[in-house]
Amino acid sequence: MDQISLVPRHPPPLPLAFSGDRKEFFHLVVRGAGLELITVGFYRFWLATDIRRHLWSNTVIDGDAAEYTGRAKELLIGFLFALAIIVPVYLAYFVASLQAERIKAFASFPLLAFFYLFGQFAIYRARRYRLTRTVWRGVRFWMDGSGWSYAARAALWAVLVGLTLGLLLPWRDAALERYKMRHSYYGDLQGSFEGSGWEFFKRGWWLWLLAPFALYIFPLAPFVYGAFKAVEWRWWISGIRFGGVSLGSTMPRGALIGLYWKVIGWIVLLALAFVAYLALSAGLAASMSGMPLKQFFAPQVVSKNIPFLVFVGVGYLGFALAINVVLRLYLLRDVWVRVLASTSVHGIEAAANVSARGDLATALGEGIADGLDVAGF
Amino acid sequence: MRVQFDAMNNGPGQDASPRPIVYFDGMSSRRRAVVLGFADQLQINEDEQAIAAWSYADIRRADSPSGTLRLTCLTAPALARLEIRDANVAAELTACCTRLDENIPGRGGIAKIIGWSLAATVSIVVMVLFGVPLAADRLTPMVPQALERRLGEASDGQVSVVFGKQVCNNAAGQRAFAKLVNTLRETAGLDTAVQTAVLSSPIPNAFALPGGKVYLFRGLLAKAENADEIAGILAHELGHLKHRDNMRELIYNGGTSFLIGLLFGDITGSGALIFTSRSLVTASYSRDAEQNADSFAIDLMHKLGRSPKPMGELMFRVTGKEGDRSISILASHPLTEDRLARMSNEDQPPSGPPLLTAEEWTSLKAICNSKS
Repeated sequence: MDQISLVPRHPPPLPLAFSGDRKEFFHLVVRGAGLELITVGFYRFWLATDIRRHLWSNTVIDGDAAEYTGRAKELLIGFLFALAIIVPVYLAYFVASLQAERIKAFASFPLLAFFYLFGQFAIYRARRYRLTRTVWRGVRFWMDGSGWSYAARAALWAVLVGLTLGLLLPWRDAALERYKMRHSYYGDLQGSFEGSGWEFFKRGWWLWLLAPFALYIFPLAPFVYGAFKAVEWRWWISGIRFGGVSLGSTMPRGALIGLYWKVIGWIVLLALAFVAYLALSAGLAASMSGMPLKQFFAPQVVSKNIPFLVFVGVGYLGFALAINVVLRLYLLRDVWVRVLASTSVHGIEAAANVSARGDLATALGEGIADGLDVAGF
Repeated sequence: MRVQFDAMNNGPGQDASPRPIVYFDGMSSRRRAVVLGFADQLQINEDEQAIAAWSYADIRRADSPSGTLRLTCLTAPALARLEIRDANVAAELTACCTRLDENIPGRGGIAKIIGWSLAATVSIVVMVLFGVPLAADRLTPMVPQALERRLGEASDGQVSVVFGKQVCNNAAGQRAFAKLVNTLRETAGLDTAVQTAVLSSPIPNAFALPGGKVYLFRGLLAKAENADEIAGILAHELGHLKHRDNMRELIYNGGTSFLIGLLFGDITGSGALIFTSRSLVTASYSRDAEQNADSFAIDLMHKLGRSPKPMGELMFRVTGKEGDRSISILASHPLTEDRLARMSNEDQPPSGPPLLTAEEWTSLKAICNSKS
């Protein structure tokens, strides 16, 4: 565009903006949680898609919002395909572990390593799916590279991290990010990752020292984890490049700690409400059974009272779904917003005329990740 | 999700002048300022030149932030986008495009999703209640004995880790035990693949492993008062072997765990749901298997001319009255008092010879004493 030539050689960094309404997102996840309950979880594909559509389409870069073009049906089909793969794998795993057990009792545990590999493969392929559904200015992001090659790297690094009690984690993250980013593209702009393990280590080593204490002293844990996530985000964002476009982050260490405390606060409140509800329904069930309270609360009576058990089951589900809403609101949407607010883009003019390239990937990886309960970014 | 045209603006050109309409052709990321012409088709013009024409019926809405109307066209490149930030133009265009919202996912589809998931739920429940038990019954005879034995060896390894594998092998006790087991085995029509042993564990229990291993624990032997009590217990375990209950339960548990896990997907806390519902259905299945093994034991004891009642008495001595303590629908075994009542009904005066002589019974009781 013409105006670009008028701009000085080093244009100021561009901030990213988020234009989404928090209330709208809240309604989205509340409604989604309710539908998940009614559909015994099948709605999760639609909910995940709606959440991404909301987050993507409200993320504004240089005046233009991104778009998520994935659809829930793709996730459902990916899940069904993943089942067709996972079921025989589970069976083969079962037979293989029988053979291994025969040699030595409990020797089947190393076979879990196979599932770890499979999970990492799924993480890579799921990222690929999400990236190919991400569109900005009419051009999609895409990815090549091999999920198995990534899984092998992830597994070898995991062994090293385990042996050094987590000290090598920054170098693992850097190596894996380099692999992922150099196989990521925006149109014909190739991505790369310039963050180094040493930089990550310099920013986060003191958290590594605090981690053992955080495991034992509860109030320390949210601080340590929140600070770690902030350091990780800042380091990750600052390393991302697409051709001449680079990202920068100024996220302070304390940026996410408040969110974690809010989540803890809500969970405590919800737990109190759940306990109060249990007391109320016990009272109700006792009056329905017509027994004196003291007799009703004898363990053998209360555990056999069907109306009370039904109350407990319903209350528990409500409790679990409410926690789901809280987690999605604070740890998904609010984290997203804070990360965007601290991110800036340099050299966006390099993306002004990028040619579209790359094909769509299937949602198989998402399906496997869903089946194995693994998650990654 | 309806787009609201409020005063909010995200793009450049926030001045009073009409906001530019931006076109992305889907081939490159170039931002092209365009002018729209409303003819029989939507004309998209850049610098007085027509660069695209979209038929109104093919225009669909794409996701966008509020304040922006983002359009796509079915016949244009898949990622070609037209972005309109001016509320008046957006309103005019919305009025022309009658099928604008036809591809918005979820619209009217929610009922369909609910319907399909209810159907899936019903089908999974039917499978768990009828399909899997049937499959377990049909598949069990098809599993080769060799595989079952291998399975037994695998669980045998775990047994020795959990309980310590101290086999009681006092010679006289062994002879008495072998005599008792052989009598039962031959009457039951089982072959010599059955292996039995007394383990030196204080837990009062006995169990059968797949492939024909039966273990009796010292703890149970210590509580027994006569040979018929132990014979009844062993007969019950032989019943499990005869019916191949281990294999059947393995197939059944695997199938139900898988299906129920499938049903509850990833609702937070679904772990507890899966656990409860699985316990409910597998417990009922296991109770049926225990009932059948009891019937087998009663039958076998009758064939030998002995009463099954002592077996019930031994179990009652070990567990006491259970009705007060456990929820009967969650229990893996029928309540002991019910089992005792059933065996008492089947009580009959002995018509056959005692299974062990008094001397042999004493040696069996002492099988775990290593001396002599």
